[in-house]
Amino acid sequence: MTDLAKNLHTEHMVINMGPSHPVTHGTVKFLVTLDGETIVDFDVEIGYLHRGFEKMCENSTWEQVFPYTDRLNYLSPIINNVGYALAVEKLIGIDTPERCKYVRVIVSELSRLADHLTNVAASGLELGAFTAFLYFVEARDLIWDLLESVCGARLTSNYIRIGGLKNDLPDGFKEHTREVFKRCRELWIDVDKLLTKNRIFLDRLRDVGIMPPDEAIAWGFTGPCLRASGVPYDVRKAQPYLVYDQIDFEIPIGEKGDNFDRYLVRMEEINQSMRIVEQALDKLPDGPINVDMPEYRWQSKDDIYTKIESLIFHFKTVTGGIRVPPGEVYFPVEGANGEVGFYLVSDGSGKPYKCRVRPPCFPLTAAMPRMIKGALIADIVPTFDMIHMIGGECDR
Amino acid sequence: MIAELIEAIAKILFVFGVNVGFFAPILGWVERKQSAAMQDRVGANRADIFGFTLIGLLHPLSDTIKLITKEDFIPAGANKFFHTLAPFISLTPALITFAVIPFGGQYEIFGHRVNLVVADLDVGILFIFAFASLATYGVVLAGWSSNNNWSFLGGLRAAAQMLSYEVAMGFSIIGIIMVYGSLKLTEIGAMQADFFRWGIFLQPIGFILFLTCAIAENKRAPFDIPEAETEIVAGYFTEYSSMKFIMFWMGEFLEVVTISGIVVTLFLGAWHLPFISNESLLSLFGFAGPNGSIILLMLTNIATFFGKIIFMIWFQMTIRWTLPRFRYDQIMKLGWKILLPISLINIFITGLVVLLK
Amino acid sequence: MSYKSNYIVGSIPLDRLKPKRVRKNIELTLWERLYVPEIIRGMYITTRHLIINLIGFVFPPQGKKRKIFTVYYPEEKLTIHVAYRGRPVLVQREDGKEKCVACGLCERICPALAISIVGGERENKERYPVTYTLDMSRCVYCGLCEEVCPHEAIVMSDEYIGLAEYDRKNMIYPKEKLLVPIAKLKNRIEYVRKIYGKSNYEL
Repeated sequence: MTDLAKNLHTEHMVINMGPSHPVTHGTVKFLVTLDGETIVDFDVEIGYLHRGFEKMCENSTWEQVFPYTDRLNYLSPIINNVGYALAVEKLIGIDTPERCKYVRVIVSELSRLADHLTNVAASGLELGAFTAFLYFVEARDLIWDLLESVCGARLTSNYIRIGGLKNDLPDGFKEHTREVFKRCRELWIDVDKLLTKNRIFLDRLRDVGIMPPDEAIAWGFTGPCLRASGVPYDVRKAQPYLVYDQIDFEIPIGEKGDNFDRYLVRMEEINQSMRIVEQALDKLPDGPINVDMPEYRWQSKDDIYTKIESLIFHFKTVTGGIRVPPGEVYFPVEGANGEVGFYLVSDGSGKPYKCRVRPPCFPLTAAMPRMIKGALIADIVPTFDMIHMIGGECDR
Repeated sequence: MIAELIEAIAKILFVFGVNVGFFAPILGWVERKQSAAMQDRVGANRADIFGFTLIGLLHPLSDTIKLITKEDFIPAGANKFFHTLAPFISLTPALITFAVIPFGGQYEIFGHRVNLVVADLDVGILFIFAFASLATYGVVLAGWSSNNNWSFLGGLRAAAQMLSYEVAMGFSIIGIIMVYGSLKLTEIGAMQADFFRWGIFLQPIGFILFLTCAIAENKRAPFDIPEAETEIVAGYFTEYSSMKFIMFWMGEFLEVVTISGIVVTLFLGAWHLPFISNESLLSLFGFAGPNGSIILLMLTNIATFFGKIIFMIWFQMTIRWTLPRFRYDQIMKLGWKILLPISLINIFITGLVVLLK
Repeated sequence: MSYKSNYIVGSIPLDRLKPKRVRKNIELTLWERLYVPEIIRGMYITTRHLIINLIGFVFPPQGKKRKIFTVYYPEEKLTIHVAYRGRPVLVQREDGKEKCVACGLCERICPALAISIVGGERENKERYPVTYTLDMSRCVYCGLCEEVCPHEAIVMSDEYIGLAEYDRKNMIYPKEKLLVPIAKLKNRIEYVRKIYGKSNYEL
């Protein structure tokens, strides 16, 4: 018996949940040290999706950056576009027309809807509730159809421009949105009934991945994860931009900071986003959507075909880039994951000197070991899902 | 003597043929199509022969052909003997336990008593439990003999889960045995002739307990942590391919059928129609003469039995596609701390009621 | 619901913040504790979807081919909105020549550096692109080339099929492969004129 006890190896097992694993959406590597099924040590490695966003921005003109910002948080691309455009507009010092602001709010909230729907769907899928995933994916597809009718693509929208938008909303957008939201609300109620009170789902998510509020602020959390910990901070309310101060909506706050709070916060934010879009559609004023400054915004085709000054400005701004006055600016926007901030430095030429993005999921991923040590290996799945790390944003 | 031999061979062929030939491929189709209909999509319907797709019924055939022609490998460093043996141990209990499940009553045809069960053992239920426990070995061997950390974790989880739920499963059946007073499945089936003497009315808690424990034994959702594809890739059958993989899979599907069979026999009235008794059916089929009417009655009972099995299969499939998955320690807690005490209370209450009657 | 917390960040007044508590109860209620009621409710929802879809297979609702959400590609295709950005094509005038004057704006604006132009002059002093190559393996379908073109010479068509090739050399489209007659692109050119029209701009 003693020989047997001596020969029993009890050592910690190191498992590599590598960059390609069904549960890590986005490419991230976890080195998990296990004692049985309990996690003793947890190491996160990011950077597998680094594509050199900031370096590419230094070599492109100010308008060429927009397709790159699409690919940062690829589930809600318009919010990145809006953040960058607002930062540049603040640096230049121009203000867009009212209709442009309302339309920017509408499409931002539609993008946020797509992001939250994807997150809840993916967490349902990875916990084994396949049906909830497919219901929300159907809802997301309808939202993407709406976005396709506006800007031409579902994911890589490339819709916002410095000083306005690429094009106006199509005809019949309001009725189309109403139908889509009716179906989305039905599906939301279905998934709510399937998941929110289900004891199996609750047991998976409750009391796991707890982050107390003061530590959350210390780590740099923002967005739904911070609100789930109980801190009522939302960039749309704290530092209102566009027309958010004229629209009536609530921000959901959690109690404990565990995964279940994050899930509830995101589900409620889906409702609030739909409310914002409907209010903005009702209040949408008529008018132009682009500011009429040829040195910053490409002119209309009628002008370019007929007037020579517009053509000259068009050529100068396309080939040389718009001349942004030198300076630096930081502009935060409420992304679906947290506060997306753009820090721009301009040296007066047509290309950005520095364009840095504050990724909201970087501090969240960095806090994963703090949240998961001592839990079981099966808890990695809901915790990482609810953090909603997006590889494109964390690694840029 | 010869007649009995022919009868036994006919019954074995029928049960085996229905199980492996009909239920196993159909269950693959049902899983895809039912889950698709629940999720607002179409499901697999592209496999066709000369342009006839038959709403996807040919997919099990194409799956079989594909899986047979795949390379059958054993990973380096794996224990060859156990790696090859494990799928057989996993498949056999699912096939054998169907031998004691009666799919009809006892009939006198042409002066010959026909008992529609392959083996009418006196210890029917005990036989089922004995063989169901053997399935644990298959999983543990599969998980350990593949030289893979993930399979190892899957095998450990499976062993713990299956052992825990066997205890509760056994206790939940004791209530039924007390109420009906026999271990023979044919007798229990025959005693459920009256609709209100069905097992589900006499033992509602036993029904829920047994169904839960049986789904846990079968390692299907929501208890499918041994093969949870999002946490540990594919669990204990990560390193299996082609025929061995199909044996594991077929074992799982056949066990769904077996569990349905046991639940139908014990709780849902076996081969009886709800409010119509055998005598009224006999008088209904009186036009075919004495032997013919009994044959028609026999066919009706078999059809009712398989209809109920199909209902239970649908039920298990719906449970699978609706519920999320448990966590490992929650399964253990559920099995030991919740289901076992409830089953003991069930036995106690049943005993009191039987004593007082 | 009144809200008291130590964590009011930035001294923002509560009536502006409008927080809404979403977690109704920290501990499990009795209804949630029993597994079975919620499971039955969940199964009711999926079974309702099942029955509606099964009936929808046999009796599809009016105006649609089937109740479920799936589209049977490639037998059926989705109806594409006119705004959809497919592959970029060069517009070919009625006399067979391209509208492009090789100004080089699309080459300059392309974020993926997919376009290369060599310009030249015809005998009647008309500029035209001698070679125009669009590397489809680099194109990200962003639509910036269409937006900056001063002559409506390149537009995003609605084609998305048949863009895959077996050899990477075939993905570099020369001018001949990009030309599409103007008659087929009327919808898109009208749409482009409308969305970049004068009404969108402030006076």
